[in-house]
Amino acid sequence: MSATSHAHDEAGQAPLVGSLGVDSRKLGLWAFIGSETLFFTALITTHLIFYARTKADLAAKGMLEHMDPKLYLGIDLTTILAAILLASSLTMVLALAATKSKEWPKFRFWLLATIVLGSAFVLGQVYEFTHLYHEGLKLAPQYVYEGETVKSLFGVTFFVMTGFHGLHVTLGVVWLIAVYFKVRRFAASPENPMDVELVGLYWHFVDLVWVAIFTLVYLI
Amino acid sequence: MAIAEQKLTSVSPATASSGSFPWRTWLATVDHKKIGIIYIVSAFVFFLLGGIEAMLMRVQLGTPNNTFLSADVYNQLFTMHATTMIFLMVMPMNVGIGNYVVPLMIGARDMAFPRLNALSIWLFLGGGLLLYLSFLTGGAPNGGWFAYAPLTQVQYSPTAGMDYWILGLGLTGIASIAGALNFIVTVLNMRAPGMSINRMPLFVWMNLVVSFIIIFAFPTFTVGSIQLLFDRQFGAAFFNPAQGGDAVLWQHLFWFFGHPEVYILILPVMGMISEILPVFSRKPIFGYSFVAFSGVGIGFLGFIVWAHHMFGVGMGPMANAFFAAASMVIAIPTGVKIFNWIATMWAGDVRLTTAMLYAIGFISMFIIGGISGITLASPPIDLQQTDTYYVVAHLHYVLFGGSILGLFAGAFYWFPKMTGRLLNERIGKIQFWLMMISFNITFFPMHIVGTEGMPRRIYTYEAGMGWDMWNFIETIGTFLLAFSVLIFIYNVLSSLRNGEVASNDPWDAATLEWTIPSPPPSYNFLHIPVVNSRRPLWDAKYPHAAGDDHHGPSSAPSQVRYEYTDEETEGAKDIHMPSLTFSPMIFSGGLTVASLGFIYINKDILGLPTRVAALGFILIGIVMVSIAIRGWILDSRKDSPYLSQHH
Amino acid sequence: MAEHATHDQHAESHESHSTRFYWMIGAILAVITAVEVAIFLVKDTIGHELFLAILFILSIAKGAGVVMYFMHLRGDARIFQLVFIVPFLLAVTLCLGFLTIFSHHVGIAG
Ligand code: HEM
Ligand SMILES: [Cu+2]
Repeated sequence: MSATSHAHDEAGQAPLVGSLGVDSRKLGLWAFIGSETLFFTALITTHLIFYARTKADLAAKGMLEHMDPKLYLGIDLTTILAAILLASSLTMVLALAATKSKEWPKFRFWLLATIVLGSAFVLGQVYEFTHLYHEGLKLAPQYVYEGETVKSLFGVTFFVMTGFHGLHVTLGVVWLIAVYFKVRRFAASPENPMDVELVGLYWHFVDLVWVAIFTLVYLI
Repeated sequence: MAIAEQKLTSVSPATASSGSFPWRTWLATVDHKKIGIIYIVSAFVFFLLGGIEAMLMRVQLGTPNNTFLSADVYNQLFTMHATTMIFLMVMPMNVGIGNYVVPLMIGARDMAFPRLNALSIWLFLGGGLLLYLSFLTGGAPNGGWFAYAPLTQVQYSPTAGMDYWILGLGLTGIASIAGALNFIVTVLNMRAPGMSINRMPLFVWMNLVVSFIIIFAFPTFTVGSIQLLFDRQFGAAFFNPAQGGDAVLWQHLFWFFGHPEVYILILPVMGMISEILPVFSRKPIFGYSFVAFSGVGIGFLGFIVWAHHMFGVGMGPMANAFFAAASMVIAIPTGVKIFNWIATMWAGDVRLTTAMLYAIGFISMFIIGGISGITLASPPIDLQQTDTYYVVAHLHYVLFGGSILGLFAGAFYWFPKMTGRLLNERIGKIQFWLMMISFNITFFPMHIVGTEGMPRRIYTYEAGMGWDMWNFIETIGTFLLAFSVLIFIYNVLSSLRNGEVASNDPWDAATLEWTIPSPPPSYNFLHIPVVNSRRPLWDAKYPHAAGDDHHGPSSAPSQVRYEYTDEETEGAKDIHMPSLTFSPMIFSGGLTVASLGFIYINKDILGLPTRVAALGFILIGIVMVSIAIRGWILDSRKDSPYLSQHH
Repeated sequence: MAEHATHDQHAESHESHSTRFYWMIGAILAVITAVEVAIFLVKDTIGHELFLAILFILSIAKGAGVVMYFMHLRGDARIFQLVFIVPFLLAVTLCLGFLTIFSHHVGIAG
């Protein structure tokens, strides 16, 4: 990836290991994950602010059961989604372990498992969204309930926040598929373990965000 | 040496294609120096555009009750002026100079991710062009550079202008984050042997700090503007109080980014000043660690002062007190830097070159801006001054008197390295004085009219408020200022042709970029230098001079080389540099086209045809991005350091 | 050669784990999730404060498990810890700061 790694040849340093002794791409990805942490924090915080504000109001009007998915959908579906994502983190790390020990059939199995679980998560979320939509939760700030207009940003903050998480999962699946095919095509390439490690880091981070959303949005 | 230089350039790809301008080697380049120059030139063009907008506004305000501009056009102009100067001028200019200079200063052959670097420049240009396209498609953004809600809701700002603003800045934002990640990895992981963290030039330090600020500050802005986009396109009402949203939330999200942003604009320039002052004072910087760590301190503190921009909304006494106190604390590390610069010049062998004059101009004007900043940090005073021309005065003293004067210092200092010719010093000094004087004529009276109560962002005012004379004077100042910029352009154009030819080291400087030819060959360093002090080049030139305590010339002087034998330059052919690639450009082109489509996805302009066209744009964009990703992976394999081992 | 270089580096910075270890971590995280859901179901009997306290502890443990073992941050190069933990603390500051400001407590923010 980096042209300048060659620069260190004559200084007697190993290539790929820069002045800090780490892989450049991995460092870049960790910094990016740091940045993404703030991105999701801002989304979640927005959600919490509006949720706290409207909750009491909605409860007083008897609306809460119709606005808060965990109250009228139960948390069954999200629990399953959380379990799927957690399982996909496990398969991901197993895939990485297989690349390190060069057990390629195992690697392919675990990576495919991750792709399948990731896709299942996305589909589950699509299902959840359509379901909520039919139940009446909209990307809109106002609802009419028993002839009365009620203001609530719950749908808005919820869909935007979980939607952006879903988008990240989707991009993660695309990245996983790209790595799968790249490793298949260039089987003996020495950079394969790092390619897998990088997509793995991103994937675990996406899982981590769901850990936070699961607690802060669904359980509290 | 001259012979060697010629040999060195003869292997660079730029000269490989003969005849007319080598478009391909520029458009498909991944060379940090070429990318830096594209950044610098485009930022300068945006500087001129922003300047023209400023002049139009100043003509309108020159006399009371003027009808030169309508209120609507005036709103678009002040929004685009600030957006341009901040996001399309100072930020990319910093990035451009950093792109060119940082790898040279740390003894690297390129940035860590050359293709990502190319992606950044094209995304930045795509975003900038998208913003300016709005002038042709029904109206530019008009909600101010901080886009206060609910003014930016679709009811109050019905043109597509604010959508262009969101998506245009979205693209430049991605460019900034990608660029910042690149700087972080480059600075941390690409340093030449011996260039430990505490030997890095201060310009490198400040770029590192700023890159962290960028990746931590931009996300809240991104989130805020995504939410604003949902408000405008899908009626989400995040920031619309009438429908249960909260306008103040936008302010918090924006300023959590916005205050760190002003440090993004100033810290790299402070880094430049910290390089220039020692060279022209022939003294090491006074208190290197203080300058470096005060930069880090400013970076941290910058994240907890944001609400000093919001005293006017009435946050409550505890919040006001906290943010006022934090803002005043941040003046301490800023002051530390100023004293260090002054102490650097103190008893130095000062050479008043144009670059040095600009650096001194920076310090003096920045002090004025810093002081007005501290006054504004006090809530009772701010409540009086907020939204008046006093704030406009403050921000121009720090941003023009600070950032832009500093950037001119950097321009005069590094121009010879980038082009191989020196800028004309005599013209430069004339321009400096003209700019200093006209800058103060333009902006100093704003303190006065601001204190007298003239609000900012009004398109005209009644006669007889006591503001007429000062406004007229400010307008005159603006024209003089514009004239001084024209002089600079003349200087650049004529010096490019006839300027004095620059040696490797025209200023008798201390850092690594001056050890290599001007302009440097594509691979920068034939031999990667080995660094043993903070001033490797001074050590090599003056081995007997005393250095500072721990990092002065040691028993092992830095190994930096000026001259190479012909045999050695032959060896340059074997240096593998990454190949040209169009993938980054196609990628950013795709994102730009898709963004344009997204602006119109839910607009009722021509009914169905618009939406179909918008959808078409998004699809084309996605296809372009997919093609680019495939090309990118294949291109990167050509240069993979892992794979080249097997050649 | 390249392989060797990367390998060396990782051998130093990573504790290498067996697949069994990852399965165990996975199992522990699954158990934590199950407990979270369980206390959610009984939250009315244990009281709101206790519920929140347990929930936070559990999810922090879960997140830490993912970061430390699946992402190998534990034992990896210091710089990775730095570029993740600093923004994480900043994110916590952002969240708590905003929640305080928007709490509308008299005196603090209103
Ligand atoms: C000594 C440190 C500084 C302090 C205490 C300070 C304080 C302030 C305060 C309180 C305001 C808000 C005024 C208002 O809107 O009522 C303000 C505005 C502003 N400051 Fe500073 N400032 C400082 C340095 C800087 C620097 C270094 C820069 C940029 C290089 C800067 C750029 C700005 C800008 C652009 C605005 C106006 C934003 C707008 O409303 O459009 N300030 N400053
Ligand atoms: Cu500020």
